[in-house]
Amino acid sequence: MPRRSSLPVTFVVPTLIILLILSMVPTVYAVVIALQNRELSSTAYSYVWFSNFVDLFFDRRFLNAVWVSVKWEVVTVVATMAVAIGLGVLMFEVASPRLRNIYCLLFIIPVLLPRVSAAFVWKFAYHPLYGIATYPYRLLTGGLIFDPLSKPATALFAVASVDVWQWGLFFAVIVLKLLETLPPQPIEAARLDHARRWQIHAYVTLPMLKAPLISLMFVKMIESLRSFDLIYVMTRGGPGVATETLDMYAFSQGFIESGKVSYASAMAVLMMIATVITFTMLWKRVQA
Amino acid sequence: MSAITCSHVEKSYGATTVIRDLNLAIEEHEFVVFLGPSGCGKSTLLRMLAGLEDISGGEVSIGGKVVNDLDPGDRGIAMVFQNYALYPHMTIFDNIAFGLKRQKVPKTEIQKRVEAVSKTLGLDPYLGRRPAELSGGQQQRVAIARAMIKTPKVFLFDEPLSNLDAKLRNHMRIEIARLHQSLKTTTVYVTHDQLEAMTLADRIVLLRDGRIEQIGSPAEIYERPANLFVAGFIGTPNMNFIDVTVGRKGNGWTLTSAGTVFTIDGSRFKLQHGERAVLGIRPPDLKTAGSNADSLLEGTADLIEFHGNDALVIFGSGGKEISALVPTRECPAINSHVRYAIDEQSLHLFDAKSGVSLLRQSL
Repeated sequence: MPRRSSLPVTFVVPTLIILLILSMVPTVYAVVIALQNRELSSTAYSYVWFSNFVDLFFDRRFLNAVWVSVKWEVVTVVATMAVAIGLGVLMFEVASPRLRNIYCLLFIIPVLLPRVSAAFVWKFAYHPLYGIATYPYRLLTGGLIFDPLSKPATALFAVASVDVWQWGLFFAVIVLKLLETLPPQPIEAARLDHARRWQIHAYVTLPMLKAPLISLMFVKMIESLRSFDLIYVMTRGGPGVATETLDMYAFSQGFIESGKVSYASAMAVLMMIATVITFTMLWKRVQA
Repeated sequence: MSAITCSHVEKSYGATTVIRDLNLAIEEHEFVVFLGPSGCGKSTLLRMLAGLEDISGGEVSIGGKVVNDLDPGDRGIAMVFQNYALYPHMTIFDNIAFGLKRQKVPKTEIQKRVEAVSKTLGLDPYLGRRPAELSGGQQQRVAIARAMIKTPKVFLFDEPLSNLDAKLRNHMRIEIARLHQSLKTTTVYVTHDQLEAMTLADRIVLLRDGRIEQIGSPAEIYERPANLFVAGFIGTPNMNFIDVTVGRKGNGWTLTSAGTVFTIDGSRFKLQHGERAVLGIRPPDLKTAGSNADSLLEGTADLIEFHGNDALVIFGSGGKEISALVPTRECPAINSHVRYAIDEQSLHLFDAKSGVSLLRQSL
């Protein structure tokens, strides 16, 4: 039947074409630029092929950015999942159905805030003199100054805490809802099998939720890659290069410090390749 | 010591009371079946014994020890659930061994005990598989193995065979009976299937609306139902009920219903002249009558169900639908006139108002 086969095509093809143009053109263009030596200060350029990539491997600031990115990814993903599972299980065990609903509502609010707003709120909260988050420290030490965002050792964790505040609480709601969908009988059977509360979750409920929890983790991993706005508002990669992730460094090389667009593009291309390879490998591993 | 005692046990959810003032003593080694229609509170009662539901009032003790506030794991019980409740992500071995691992039993002993239990239940080929790879009957057997391995003081079964098909259900029923014969563990078994109750139980506890209607051996409950509800609930096909008025006649009694008079000796019953009663006759107790018999039920056979050895003849008599289970060779033709005689020894009489059996207690 021709009508049946042509209708989906009519709807899908234009959208696909637009999507392809929107996603492929910039990508291909970025790859092309990465092979050139364009700078914002001049219109002249030529093809330098892989020299940008070679330079990157001798750029200590780039290697630092890679390390910071990896740290950022691991810290935010692990902390988010830990907070989500911990809080989710806690709500499941302790809170009455009514209280659960109230908590759920409260925990969803942070993620509804735009990232930049959340970043500003917490930047003020971490202010060494006036911030509410540093207030307990001032109180306990009799007015000593603690500025988490300007210490290399703590800056990354301070920024990460905002990310976890937004996503960990939201994921806790999802974990709670997942726990509520589980059939109660295996949990009851485990109670009869001498399992303690935490053992029931460690050995029965969480393993039963393995697949959705892994999906959640993937979502968070992808989300953590897009941390630019948060870091930009809170530290701009500082102090020094302590929170300078790859996208921060690429941005500052391309537009702020030197206008080396091709050099920045080379970083972006490397990031894309690394991300695709990593995620493909992880996905395959999880599927197996 | 693993007797179970419930005294004045109550259960309520908010304003709704599910079980009220329930008293029950289950002896050691006994196989007791809680039987009743859906929503009668039998599963709730079992879950209260298991510790999965709080006890709102009264006291439950297992083996002489009050368990009201004990955790399920500390009550010395093991339970088999209707939908098996296996841990889906674990192998069969791990499912069976889970409880022992939590109790920190040494690994070599776990290995030995799992092997022994799985051999008893014929599960050894499946130990490495996951529950989803097993059939319903095998899964239920794993659930039983998981309960058995803990060597509990009491087994609790919550409608364990309801999810199985008819053939498998028969097979598993026999296995459970055999298991109880060899282990002799005190067992409480919940079901709504009277065949299971009749075949497995030492004693049946018949429940309705959270109250015990009758406790007794299967034979007692079948032959001497305490009231109309029990009489109607037990026995397939269902007992026939006919409203009658009791009358005195010489040394005997008459039971009069619309158009029919039954003459009985009546010494088995406590009767009063003029009293309204309900006459109960089980379909197999109706015998094809000769032409000169009295105490007859007659009518036109309007439906005949073929059961194999027997046939169920359904006919109208005095405005009531009566069924009689007769040997197939005596089966009448449809729409023919049928006459069935009542044997007084198999009659049941109940008070019309209270529904209580009029049978004399001493009998």
